[in-house]
Amino acid sequence: MKVRVRAFARFREIFGSEQVIDLPDGAGLDVLLKRFAERREDGRAALFDGEGRLLSHVVLMHNRRRVGDAAVSGTALADGDEVAVFPPVAGG
Amino acid sequence: MITISHDEIDAGALIRAAQRPEMGALVTFVGTVRDDDGLEAMELEAYEEAAHEELTAIRDEAMERYAIDSVDIVHRIGRLEVGETILVIVVGAGHRKEAFPACEYVIDRLKQTVPIWKKEYRAGDETWVAGEAGSRKE
Repeated sequence: MKVRVRAFARFREIFGSEQVIDLPDGAGLDVLLKRFAERREDGRAALFDGEGRLLSHVVLMHNRRRVGDAAVSGTALADGDEVAVFPPVAGG
Repeated sequence: MITISHDEIDAGALIRAAQRPEMGALVTFVGTVRDDDGLEAMELEAYEEAAHEELTAIRDEAMERYAIDSVDIVHRIGRLEVGETILVIVVGAGHRKEAFPACEYVIDRLKQTVPIWKKEYRAGDETWVAGEAGSRKE
């Protein structure tokens, strides 16, 4: 299945604005993020701490709905889904 | 009206468009690029589809919480110079007592949840503005 990952602000500068990632059926958000991070030399350090935990200031949306901290590993993905990766918001 | 736009925002036109005979109060918030410590320009970026949905949800929340008649929000993106308008919020109501807190509610919620980011440009330096809120654990 193919999942579209969009990155914004500081993460756009690291990863580019959009990537389409091919995943095995049934893969979850945690698998996607690891694949996504591996696509850039400094991608892993931008998203994960030394023990492989997603950094708290990485905000995620799955099909435009925020993904809470507890839901990252349990979020199932489907073909055509859109995931967004961005830092805390600063509009207004 | 909920709009994310690359174009200059005309606050006066928004106020006139919002006005209805039953409104005794039109409380308007205009956010502008401040000359802050040598700031030369600011670049605003949005996850546009999600930002539009979040702004719509905030408007709906405000309409539920306060006795108001309308909420209009226009947020600009792209490169802005000092003094230019970043956003305009217009809240229309029968009375000011409801319109003022509703307007403040909208800007406070916007800063917490709407996926928009600012990059500040100073001489030889560019910095992303740290978000006030919205980490994954909140």
